[in-house]
Amino acid sequence: MKQIFLVLKREYSTRVKKKSFLLATILIPLIFPAVIFGIVYFATSDSDSSSKEVYVLDESGYFQDSFSNTGYTYTYLSGNLDEAKEKLQENNVYGLIHIPEIDLDDASKTRYSDFSFYSETNPGNQAMKGFESEIKRELEAVKLDRSGLDPAVINSLKVNVNLNSFNLTESGEAKESNTDLSSAVGYVFGFLIYMFIFIYGSQIMQSVLDEKTSRIVEVIVSSVRPFQLMMGKVLGVGAVGVTQLLIWIVLMVTLFSVGISALGGGMEAMAGQMPADVDMTQNQEMAANIQGMLNTIPVAQIVVSFLFYFLGAYFLYGALYAAIGSAVDSIQDAQQFMLPIMLPIIAGIVSLTFVLQDPHSTMAVTLSMIPFTSPIVMMARLPFGVPTWQLLLSMALLVLGFIATIWIAGRIYRVGILMYGAKVNWKTIAKWFTMKV
Amino acid sequence: MNILEANHISKSYAEHRALNDVSISIPKQSIFGLLGPNGAGKTTLIRIINQIIMADEGEVLINGEKLHPRHVEIIGYLPEERGLYKKMKVGEQLMYLAQLKGMSKSEAKAKIKKWLEKLNLTEWAGQKVEDLSKGMAQKIQFIATVIHEPQLLILDEPFSGFDPVNANLIKDEILELREKGATVIFSTHRMESVEQLCEHIAMIHKSEKILDGTKKEIKNSFRSDKYKVEYKGDFSGLGAEYELLDTKHLEDGFYEAVIQSKNGHNPNHLLSQLIAKTEVHSFVEVIPSVNDIFISIVEGGNKK
Repeated sequence: MKQIFLVLKREYSTRVKKKSFLLATILIPLIFPAVIFGIVYFATSDSDSSSKEVYVLDESGYFQDSFSNTGYTYTYLSGNLDEAKEKLQENNVYGLIHIPEIDLDDASKTRYSDFSFYSETNPGNQAMKGFESEIKRELEAVKLDRSGLDPAVINSLKVNVNLNSFNLTESGEAKESNTDLSSAVGYVFGFLIYMFIFIYGSQIMQSVLDEKTSRIVEVIVSSVRPFQLMMGKVLGVGAVGVTQLLIWIVLMVTLFSVGISALGGGMEAMAGQMPADVDMTQNQEMAANIQGMLNTIPVAQIVVSFLFYFLGAYFLYGALYAAIGSAVDSIQDAQQFMLPIMLPIIAGIVSLTFVLQDPHSTMAVTLSMIPFTSPIVMMARLPFGVPTWQLLLSMALLVLGFIATIWIAGRIYRVGILMYGAKVNWKTIAKWFTMKV
Repeated sequence: MNILEANHISKSYAEHRALNDVSISIPKQSIFGLLGPNGAGKTTLIRIINQIIMADEGEVLINGEKLHPRHVEIIGYLPEERGLYKKMKVGEQLMYLAQLKGMSKSEAKAKIKKWLEKLNLTEWAGQKVEDLSKGMAQKIQFIATVIHEPQLLILDEPFSGFDPVNANLIKDEILELREKGATVIFSTHRMESVEQLCEHIAMIHKSEKILDGTKKEIKNSFRSDKYKVEYKGDFSGLGAEYELLDTKHLEDGFYEAVIQSKNGHNPNHLLSQLIAKTEVHSFVEVIPSVNDIFISIVEGGNKK
């Protein structure tokens, strides 16, 4: 045990002291929010600052001064379409909306597809949608007016339906669930595990390979059992990963709370310009919504399970990465062995699309039992509620799974680290596995 | 008392037998030469002693006890292929390797300081190994091997990579360690260092031990009753008991010849015959060097 700890300590301290670790650990949580805030900032500032000029050629007579979409200034033209097009090119304005003559009383003569937008550059999707909805609203208002119906009656006919889904717990109690949120949470956790396996798995492999190619390994194994060396490595690199994860969580939480309080300040400033009662009810409603959504997810269960699957997946795959590193002489040679190991991880992440559509299908349940895919798939299923027996079975299988892969990897590792220049394929690895050392 | 006894060790890999019923015993505080051509099985035997691999058959005793994991703490091993962590600083690296051998931190710290001073490397303690010259890295590796004051030192080609000055320095260190009680196993092809240092020799060839004993015994057993004579004035007719193997004409009427004695007379018998026929200037028995023995065995023609 003391030997494993010494190896662990070395792996940990050499990694944590590296500049690249410090950079990644501090920059990544800064970069993500920065990118998000940056996009939001540009998106909002862009439409505010430059107000583009748009010509309106209205031959129907219904659109006198009716365009009001912010971000644009509208100039109403008279004359025919060709003149208007010429003018558009001459004055270099953003675009031209052409509304042909329409007869609202005769449905057969009305062709709503005849409306056109001319411009020199391709207009954005959002701009087109904006213009469309303005034209639609205006025409609807005119038609409603002509029909002689009471607008109040029309409004009273409208219904807004929201389908609420509930989970029945084993005790028969109904619990509100939220499919969208569950999917998002499931995907995020599944993906985190997937990333972690990739990044830290290849670090283990690299570390094993470095010891082998620098030939220090023979000195080390004259003091430490190969299995202890491998386990020390897997644990040490894993500890680095957990450290990084914890720092990220702390930094992210701090940054988001700072960011949100800054946003909140902005909202209050805006609220000052609005009638107070509207603002209050909206905010309260939003807060209640967020609270309610969080209540639909078994948060504590997810956090505990995440830690479990996170470590389980790491041990399972980390040991295999160590075995590959021991078997080859260079990182290029490692490629051929990487693929079969990566396949189940990739299969797990790809299957998430289907798993999230139906988290209780046979496929989803099966994949969440197989140790190679269960960390990713079970994490994705958890927010939807998973029967306790399934969770426990999956966890037990994962423990058996990583004990098995560590055992297998250890047997390959102890031979591989002392083999140089051997042409390695799956057959030789199988031979090493059965070899007596 | 033998510090190490290996009894009937056999080891096979998938396709070939690396060691076949090899036994050696190494007396305490001796310098033991383990010889043999490449691929003979030396490294396999060394790895078995270091518990890196396990023998299929046979047992290894250290100080009379069966090989046990705690024994790694009393063995220092310098493999033929040297290697250190390139990105790690010299001091940290030695600390790590010393702790792996069971030393406490404070103990290791004092020893590292002492050794770095002894080999004039103190100022390099904070440098990374990749910034060191090859010779310096070799010295660091030597320190790592002996830092825990092992009772048994196993050195595989210890002088390769050293310039003559440093090779001498290392040789003196090895002798000093022996004076303090360490036993040294040398695995080498460099016969001059074997000739110089080793008291005991074992030779492994094609997975088997074919030679074992003190250097003196072995050399004696390879004596072949040949004598080298320098004389003035040619002669002939030594009789059927002697054969003139090789005659060289030196200058001024001097000759040098190798004479094979065929019936085990003592040297005086030959000498008296020679004196009767010619003027003898030197007379010496031909004793093979370890190098000669090595070559004659490897080439298969045992000239005995």
